[in-house]
Amino acid sequence: MKKRSMLMLAALMLVLSAFLAACSGGGEKANTKDKEKDKPSSGETADKVQDGGTLVYALDSAPEGKFNFSFLGNVTDEEVVDFFDENLIKFDDKLKPQPHIASWTTDDNKVYKFEIKKGVKWHNGDELSVKDWEFALKVVADKDYEGPRFENVVNIEGAQDYHDGKATEISGIKVDDDYHIQITFDKARVNNLENLHTYPMNRNAFKGIAVKDMMASETVRTKPVGLGPFKVAKIVPGESVEMERFDEYFGGKPHMDKVVIKVIDPSLSVGELKNGTLDMTSFHPSIIDQVKALDNVEAVTYPGLSYYYVGFRLGTWDGSKNVMNEQKYQNVKLREAMYYAINREEWVKAFFFGVGKPVNRPVPTNHWIAADNKDLEQFEYNPEKAKQLLDEAGYKDIDGDGFREDPNGKKFVVNFSHYATQNPTFESRAKALTQYWEEVGLKTKLTMTDANLYYDMLEKADKSMEVFFGGWSTGADPDPTALWSSKALWNYPRWVNADSDKFLSDAIDMDVVGTDADKRKQLYVDWQKLFMKELPALPIAELEETMAVSKRVQGVTFDVSGKNRPNEWWIKQ
Amino acid sequence: MLKYAFRRILGMIPMLFLISIVVFTLAKLMPGDSFSGEIDPTKTNPQYIAEMREKLGYNDPLPQQYFRWIGKFVEGDFGKSTRYKIKVSEVISEKLPNTLLLGFSSIIITYILAFFMGLYSGRKPYTVADNLIGGLNYLGLSIPSFIAGVFAIFLFSFTLGWFPSNGSIDIGMTEGTFEYWLSRLHHVFLPAVVLGLLSTASYTQFLRNDIIENSRKDFVRTARAKGTTEKKIYNVHILRNSIIPLITFLGFDLVAIISGAIITETIFTYPGLGQLFLQSVGTRDYPVLMTLTMLFSFLTLIGNLLADILYGVVDPRIRLD
Repeated sequence: MKKRSMLMLAALMLVLSAFLAACSGGGEKANTKDKEKDKPSSGETADKVQDGGTLVYALDSAPEGKFNFSFLGNVTDEEVVDFFDENLIKFDDKLKPQPHIASWTTDDNKVYKFEIKKGVKWHNGDELSVKDWEFALKVVADKDYEGPRFENVVNIEGAQDYHDGKATEISGIKVDDDYHIQITFDKARVNNLENLHTYPMNRNAFKGIAVKDMMASETVRTKPVGLGPFKVAKIVPGESVEMERFDEYFGGKPHMDKVVIKVIDPSLSVGELKNGTLDMTSFHPSIIDQVKALDNVEAVTYPGLSYYYVGFRLGTWDGSKNVMNEQKYQNVKLREAMYYAINREEWVKAFFFGVGKPVNRPVPTNHWIAADNKDLEQFEYNPEKAKQLLDEAGYKDIDGDGFREDPNGKKFVVNFSHYATQNPTFESRAKALTQYWEEVGLKTKLTMTDANLYYDMLEKADKSMEVFFGGWSTGADPDPTALWSSKALWNYPRWVNADSDKFLSDAIDMDVVGTDADKRKQLYVDWQKLFMKELPALPIAELEETMAVSKRVQGVTFDVSGKNRPNEWWIKQ
Repeated sequence: MLKYAFRRILGMIPMLFLISIVVFTLAKLMPGDSFSGEIDPTKTNPQYIAEMREKLGYNDPLPQQYFRWIGKFVEGDFGKSTRYKIKVSEVISEKLPNTLLLGFSSIIITYILAFFMGLYSGRKPYTVADNLIGGLNYLGLSIPSFIAGVFAIFLFSFTLGWFPSNGSIDIGMTEGTFEYWLSRLHHVFLPAVVLGLLSTASYTQFLRNDIIENSRKDFVRTARAKGTTEKKIYNVHILRNSIIPLITFLGFDLVAIISGAIITETIFTYPGLGQLFLQSVGTRDYPVLMTLTMLFSFLTLIGNLLADILYGVVDPRIRLD
């Protein structure tokens, strides 16, 4: 019996090793094959634009299927809609709004007169009219509307009344003719335009559909009608989308015949890219080395608009505003010391795969309001300074256990928390932060919390979250009021500072800054200086966006506002 | 038999009711809700989230939420997915055909493979071929499906290029044509094999052992003494007896078909119920999550019943009363 089982084991080992050998052997073969295939094509560069071809683009998770700018709620859907629909205005590489389909004039930032180009065609053949835009604005302002965009309409005069059913029209919208519309906001703001919903909806396609049924309708789900360079030919819900060239695209006829968007699990994207069955996808920085190693693919990084920070709980949310009533971290010296203790350079290099950099302000570097580093305290890694600051602030090790006690001689523990997802690097990067603090003598306890409830628990001021890791991505509008004003729910440190509030409100106050961008920027720079002096949160790092683009796809450019329009892309055959 | 089935079905009603309470409570006990993962300062504002929470009734007391949900559920209104914003029944029926195809293909592959391998091994135990089959089976049993899936993709999709690594259909196909179905089968084959790996292995070994055991029984010796051919002994006398336990697995497989393969579907980016279930947990899409759980529970009960009834059908020695 024993002999037999040994035989079994041997047989098993044999089978297993044969299996593994087959795998690795095959892998090498594929490699060489690919190289051969690529050689001739990479030789010829600088050739001219070719028409035709199909682009295969991958999403890393299934879209929700809300394929309309007025209804979509996540970036995956947005990636799809971007191919077939169009924003009326665009943002340049400084994130300033520029005329696109619509151009505008305003004297006072309260009343805007828009003019749209003539002859812009919808995919169903209709000509774009400002009435389509008016229609979209009214849908979003409707009481039955369940999407997340009302925020971008509410500032229009009369929109709230329309939403509440007190008016049958939005008083701030005045249509002059098919190409001219006038929009009046409830008050003059610097950033009225940036926050406006500038996406029209085709009136004919939505005809006869009640607002509450729109989100579930075919026109949104499977047969959307857009203005963009490609029109939707077919949608297999949750799986793939096929688009065809739209010859009458107002920005010029696209070069590629087709675009196929597929959902591909991120673990497969490298293999698909290598096989040439996938042309373009955004990917997680953790696989950047694998993508870079592919001969036929370029790993593009472009400036992002997000930053990460470590926040301190300084107070609580009383239901309508922040109150600074938590004592533990009120001492600025303690916060400064914890900042000096972190070796951000090393940390970012270890956990952000070369696509992140340390950041010194609560604004991403690429935003036009970002203060120059020379205007700000740098807080370079300096553990000695950290220890000295802690000594000065009275945090000393009294009982000789190697960790400091608070000024009253009580045990001091930093309760730090970080969100957890399937990403395995999160725990180690959080752990690394705790080690920096322990090195300067601050005992730290780490809690990893499921990402879904992380912000919920932060909102409810959970005990384990006195110090917390967080991240924000910012949009085209630079205004940080929603994140850092004393009345902002998302000001998780619950930082209350009258000067900060004043800077933030002045910066969008027409009476103070008018239309002077420099003056506005100066206020934001002053605000950033104040922030870095007060340190309610320690800005840690900012991340670049990463995108894999096959070398056969040409003409794709990236800047901080994203990709250029896909009608300019072409495929080398 | 009918009486028995009827009694069991009646017994399911209070069971399902209890399950619904458990499902609901557990779902609501999950921390967070469908909005807590979606905080994005540029797109949403706190008032919107508060308003939506109120609208969806998340702020009502739990018993009230439960009765509202179960009341509608009984009427066949499963609610609206908080994530997709369409009816749950629509979300599910979108994915159901994919899952059914995957499940049935997997079962067919499993049964065919298990049947032939088991039959062969059982007839010729302890030979080289039997040991090889055994070795393969233990390999199949011991490799978790996510590893098997990744290897299968690497080998058959990336290296050999035989099968697609993701999706359920080539988007270019016209629905209903022969190519369309061919493309679907092409897409479903790899995940179906991976999904069936574990059960293939266990069914094969099950069948093999049963055949060996039966071949030592008295009735086989009698048959041999009568001069019945070996072929007939194995194919008729033994097989009929050995197939019984396999058939009863069918009842349990029914559940496996519908509940899909959470891991396999995710690895192959195959849009079915398993993937949907996982996503609905991640995004706290309560209506979808609870409907799916109820559906799975219901099918488990039905599957058990079916298995019991099948026992009685194939083996008259077992009486159901």
